[in-house]
Amino acid sequence: MLHAAVVRSPHAHARVRALDLSRAREAPGVRAVLAPGDCDALDETAEFEGRAVVAVAAETFGQARAAAELVEVEWEELEPLLDPEEAVRRGSLVGEPRRYERGGYERGLAEADAVVEAEYRTQTLNHNPLETHQCVCEWRGDGLDVYISTQYIWGVRDDVAAAFGLPPDKVRVICEYMGGGFGAKNGAGGYVTLAAELARRSGRPVRLALTRREENVGGGNRNATIQRVTAAAKADGTLTALGGEFICSLGWGGWLASTAGPMQLLHACENVRTVEYGAKLNLPAMAAFRAPGFVEGTWALECLLDKLAAELGLDPLELRRRNYANVDTMDGRPYSAKELLECYRRAEPHWERRHEVRARSDATWKRGVGLASQIWYGGGGPPSYAWVRVGSDGRANVVTAMQDIGTGTRTAMAQIAAEELGIRLERVQVQVGDSSRGPFASISGGSSTLPSMGPAVRAAAADAARQILEIAEQRFEREDGTLSLRGGEIVSPDGTTWPLEEITGLLEDGQILGKGARGPNPAGMRVLTFGVQVAEVAVDVETGEVVVERIYAVHDVGRVINPLGARSQIEGGIIQAMGHTFSEARLDDPHRGTVLTKTLDAYKLPTIADVPEIVCELIDKPDAQLTNLGSKGLGEPPIIPTAAAIANAIRDATGADVTSLPITREEILAALREARERERVGAPSA
Amino acid sequence: MGALGNGTRGLAGGTDLVPLLRDGLVAADRLVDLRRVIPSGIDGTAIGAGTTLAELEADPQIPDALREACRLAASPQLRNMGTIGGNLLQATRCWYWRLNYPCRLHGGDVCHAREGQHREHAIFANDYCASAHPSDVAAALLALDATVETTRAAGPLAGLYRLPDDHDRNLVDLGADELITRIHYERPEQSVYLKAMDRKRWAFALVGVAAARYDDGVRLGLAGVAPIPWRLASLDDLEQATPLPGTAYKLELARALGRRAIAAVGG
Amino acid sequence: MKIELTVNGEQREADVWEGESLLFALREKLGLPGSKNACEQGECGSCSVLLDGTLVCACLVLAAQADGHDVVTVEGLGATGEPHPVQEAFVEAGAVQCGFCTPGLVVATVDLLAHSPQPSEDEIREALSGNLCRCTGYAKIFDAVRLAAQ
Repeated sequence: MLHAAVVRSPHAHARVRALDLSRAREAPGVRAVLAPGDCDALDETAEFEGRAVVAVAAETFGQARAAAELVEVEWEELEPLLDPEEAVRRGSLVGEPRRYERGGYERGLAEADAVVEAEYRTQTLNHNPLETHQCVCEWRGDGLDVYISTQYIWGVRDDVAAAFGLPPDKVRVICEYMGGGFGAKNGAGGYVTLAAELARRSGRPVRLALTRREENVGGGNRNATIQRVTAAAKADGTLTALGGEFICSLGWGGWLASTAGPMQLLHACENVRTVEYGAKLNLPAMAAFRAPGFVEGTWALECLLDKLAAELGLDPLELRRRNYANVDTMDGRPYSAKELLECYRRAEPHWERRHEVRARSDATWKRGVGLASQIWYGGGGPPSYAWVRVGSDGRANVVTAMQDIGTGTRTAMAQIAAEELGIRLERVQVQVGDSSRGPFASISGGSSTLPSMGPAVRAAAADAARQILEIAEQRFEREDGTLSLRGGEIVSPDGTTWPLEEITGLLEDGQILGKGARGPNPAGMRVLTFGVQVAEVAVDVETGEVVVERIYAVHDVGRVINPLGARSQIEGGIIQAMGHTFSEARLDDPHRGTVLTKTLDAYKLPTIADVPEIVCELIDKPDAQLTNLGSKGLGEPPIIPTAAAIANAIRDATGADVTSLPITREEILAALREARERERVGAPSA
Repeated sequence: MGALGNGTRGLAGGTDLVPLLRDGLVAADRLVDLRRVIPSGIDGTAIGAGTTLAELEADPQIPDALREACRLAASPQLRNMGTIGGNLLQATRCWYWRLNYPCRLHGGDVCHAREGQHREHAIFANDYCASAHPSDVAAALLALDATVETTRAAGPLAGLYRLPDDHDRNLVDLGADELITRIHYERPEQSVYLKAMDRKRWAFALVGVAAARYDDGVRLGLAGVAPIPWRLASLDDLEQATPLPGTAYKLELARALGRRAIAAVGG
Repeated sequence: MKIELTVNGEQREADVWEGESLLFALREKLGLPGSKNACEQGECGSCSVLLDGTLVCACLVLAAQADGHDVVTVEGLGATGEPHPVQEAFVEAGAVQCGFCTPGLVVATVDLLAHSPQPSEDEIREALSGNLCRCTGYAKIFDAVRLAAQ
């Protein structure tokens, strides 16, 4: 196997003036070199740092790296565009501005007793899965095998097939296990094309693994935002208007995630006006990152709502209840299921702790409690297919070409099949991760794995069960539809039971083959997920240190399949959100547009020492309208409300209004200073 | 942990030097493993330069300031590997320097941090180069009035460091074939190290303050505030700071931690 | 150069470039891919191994420095079908999501429990703070350590 290294633009905006590959081609161990023109993933113009220019494959990674360093590139540096507001002024946008309006926004403002406005900002964040993007490509005849760390093997198949003009099934994509994605690994990306082309030219398998530094530049990011938002309400708290301008620093590509989504969907409000801009800048393109848009938008909206509650003198939880939406806020459709009110009810005792928490404050450490609620998609949808085969030993094998990105997909699918077949979990095996050894399956993104795949697996298991029971009914001379499968046995209503193997044993080499497909989502209904988080914090008002002492999370995602895995998703989402809230930020040089935080000392992921007490609850009520399973996804919901809940707790503790993420020492010390100033001049603390 | 001349570098724990070598920030034709050469272990108030941070952290006879500085430094794995001598000689975390921008420390004629991203940078002596010295241990040892013994000489720890200028971009005053062998500290009546960082553990100091009380008063050493470990005669000296726009908060942090540290040692 | 070292109790030899890391030697030369490469410079703990009984990042140890020394990797803790009690506890507690950080965390936990069989919560926080996990949120890792300590 050969190893690849890539020469990338060190500049945010530059053109190649001259390129000399001669020394690289002659370097020891080099087997293939690609330059612009050889492959679409290489270019002579760099519109962002990290743009690939040359790729080298050699016998060892060290040789590939050394050869890459021998590539001589003469760059002509160009002026980079880095300021998102300037980009909006100049019309440098990815796509058109997205405008949304319902009701009469101006009228809503005029009717209000209180109006609050604020500007909130969020930073650029890197996914930093512990395994960087990587693949091995190997040509076999006229087909290509791609071993890859991905969230979507079918997406990789289609991307790579398109790049090489192959019929899709000539590309086989394999992902047995992978080391985290969080949205960054939803497609193939240029690095796979490079590996495949190097493999084609060298006739050898080629491995291309991004270094951590490459990952932190080109591995995708959650884009930064500037959000200017307004909320207006009657004295009783009824929202009369919500509005916002959202400027999203997308970089040189990507897409405009819905930062305005929470404002449009979360609370009932007749008059809403939003405009979103995707600023096109000389920076690496954004990629989906765990609830893209909604994480950023909920931070602003839910902080703004607390500001409004303070202005109105209302309890923040009560304000949210008074604006509860009973039907979809955008088009009046009924929800397939919505238990947000129940989430509020269960959050109440945790919210009530604020009096006792505040009372534990002293001169230095101020304590407080804050909450925020959350809305997100996560209903999944078709298509997705699964096969279940049952052998003569009565064991079941679930086969589907999906991937397990670390969320416990194999376990959940085994549970679903085991339940439907009435057999023990250990008797079910799940085979995933290979596009040539199973039917099409959903992307593991958008919290859609379980709600998309689970119903297909259940349907396939039900199909297998039906076939087993038909044989049993003939064999034991029972009426059609009278037998069932339970506890590893075939059960008759009269109490007679037969071991399952008594029927499957008849098969010898034969197999029962069940097929299942994910059906459509319910027509005319809105499928969403909901939740509430309550944060307790302690703030050292002299040093700006914030300790998150406790987070309560309650989420409504329909039926819960694997409670242990579900809690782990919630805890993982909360800690990732705490990284977003306090310590993570991609910093770019403000003049050059180059990334400065390329390594994990500079880009600070949370450690185990940052973990608060986390108390999770799940409503666990099946969404009967949705599917045969009643489950929605939980990957994304828990990361959405955490930052706002923490910021609201900081305000509760200290009166300080933090408006920018991350809440660094400088951010909170400045907010505390402003709060003291407001108090000194006697302005209302809101 | 030290240069040996002729393109040879001494290697001890390797926690800083190994990445620097890989990144081409330090050049070496040859590496000499110093672990069996350099003294290690604790003997009264003398510490062998090869003693690891983990050993110091665990030893109850070591003053609190130094123990805490070790405990709050890096991660357990790195403290198991990293030596006190190497810790004193570690390079700055300035991202421009680490990413090999042609900055003043690399022989260039500009400090990129001053006009760029500098929230982790210096508030003192930052005119020429705004990098901040990351060593918690050095701050503690400054407060503990430490002297450094090398293969050539012995002198106060403060003398190990120098501010860079056009003639010499080095931050350390150590000969090409000179190695740190031992560190001696003065036993204080009481001492403490306080550190502000971006996460609860495993981050470099935004500001670290060590205070040690002796008969004649309290001595203060700071990390993360200047290109070299920084000694303060008193907190009043913080008025002399020249923070950059993005580092003004560090002054506030230094005041708060300084007051606390002095109070903690009964000063 | 040729290095000789004890790996998981076995005498092993490897032909390495002396500047390459012990991690590289383990993964690419000795067929032991359990230790993971995630950060390349000692910041994430995914390559944690025991070197002469001390917990270190294998990415920061030069292969040449390991010559004549004793190394225990995650592969040396348990065998297929016979997991180490710490590995069993990680499975039981659900302390794994994608699993990439798990080998390093298992080795670090074994080291913690060797020094402190009944660690307090604060000790766990201190001892595992050099092992980054991007998925689990660490809560289940606390559970696993407590379970393994029983």
